[in-house]
Amino acid sequence: MEKKISVGIADMKMTRQEGILITYALGSCIGVSFYDPMIKLGALLHIMLPEKSGAKDGNVFKFADTGIRETLRKLTAFGGSKSRMVCKIAGGAKMFEMKGNGGLGNIGERNAQNVKRILMAEGLRVTSEDVGANYARTMLLDVTTGNVYVRSAGKPEKML
Amino acid sequence: MGIKTYEEMNELEIDILKEIGSIGGGNAATALSSMMNAKVNMSLPKVEILDFNEALVNVGDPEEVVAAILVEMSGELGGIMLFILTKEFSDEILLRMLGKTKEDFFELEEIDSSVLMEIGNIVISSYITAMASLVNMSVELSVPQLAVNMLGGIMSVPIAMMGQHSDRIMMITGKFKIDGKALNSNMLLLPDVESLNVLMKKLGVE
Repeated sequence: MEKKISVGIADMKMTRQEGILITYALGSCIGVSFYDPMIKLGALLHIMLPEKSGAKDGNVFKFADTGIRETLRKLTAFGGSKSRMVCKIAGGAKMFEMKGNGGLGNIGERNAQNVKRILMAEGLRVTSEDVGANYARTMLLDVTTGNVYVRSAGKPEKML
Repeated sequence: MGIKTYEEMNELEIDILKEIGSIGGGNAATALSSMMNAKVNMSLPKVEILDFNEALVNVGDPEEVVAAILVEMSGELGGIMLFILTKEFSDEILLRMLGKTKEDFFELEEIDSSVLMEIGNIVISSYITAMASLVNMSVELSVPQLAVNMLGGIMSVPIAMMGQHSDRIMMITGKFKIDGKALNSNMLLLPDVESLNVLMKKLGVE
């Protein structure tokens, strides 16, 4: 059994050469995997909200904008190159058919849009994605191979 | 009191929330009891202030498939109320109400979903009605929504809503017992910080 590293909500973990990064049951949240195949450096980020709003908030990995930038900063510090980086995303579901104007209903969609916009602005390519719909996803990044897997309840595991 | 984060609540305030949870939960248990024609009790409520990951683990295994009914509260008291039913609890309800259980949670027929939704709706509204009249606050409820999916994904909805301005969430929780049998279920009341201030002020807590 390979070493599994669990990534929580509003959290990011990175590892090199081997190991599996895993984040469980992404609902409206988004999992973003980063992988530099040349040096086998991988990171998995689990963001919760599209944008940092208040200035005093401490946890950068909670938001798409600050989370992606901080992850890239760390990856670069460990020798990762943006030009080689492969990104994949999963999550952004709409778990409940919410009506009304609370903005809670489409948080998953807004998360997905913002993650893609920020990755593009950073010059990164999203090679594949599994976002939207109404079910939760567990996302795994195998750092040995760079493969990304997504599993959902009642559905077979698939490779992104 | 004028708090900005949940952590600032003192022991007296937490006790008040427990009392509110106990009255809401008691009322919900009575409603469930008359619908299911069984003796239903609710455990003593717990008030917990947890970070996102603690909150998730506290409710259960993130990958476990559960049914959940969610209602958004607005008006003087804002936040979310969530009723989470494990498969054993939902089977108990379906067995008592429709005389059947389900092999697969993903194959709920329309009648099964409506029964679960209606139970959730009644349980949640009895809870909130009791609470609102106790504290004399007006609370509007959204149309309830049902989801059957991984617990972690379901919990991401209140966590995202409460997490915008805080790294922690506060939950007032309670579990039901049917005819003395502890079946895993969870009533979660997640008020926003702003409402707690209004609530304490109404109750004269300074």
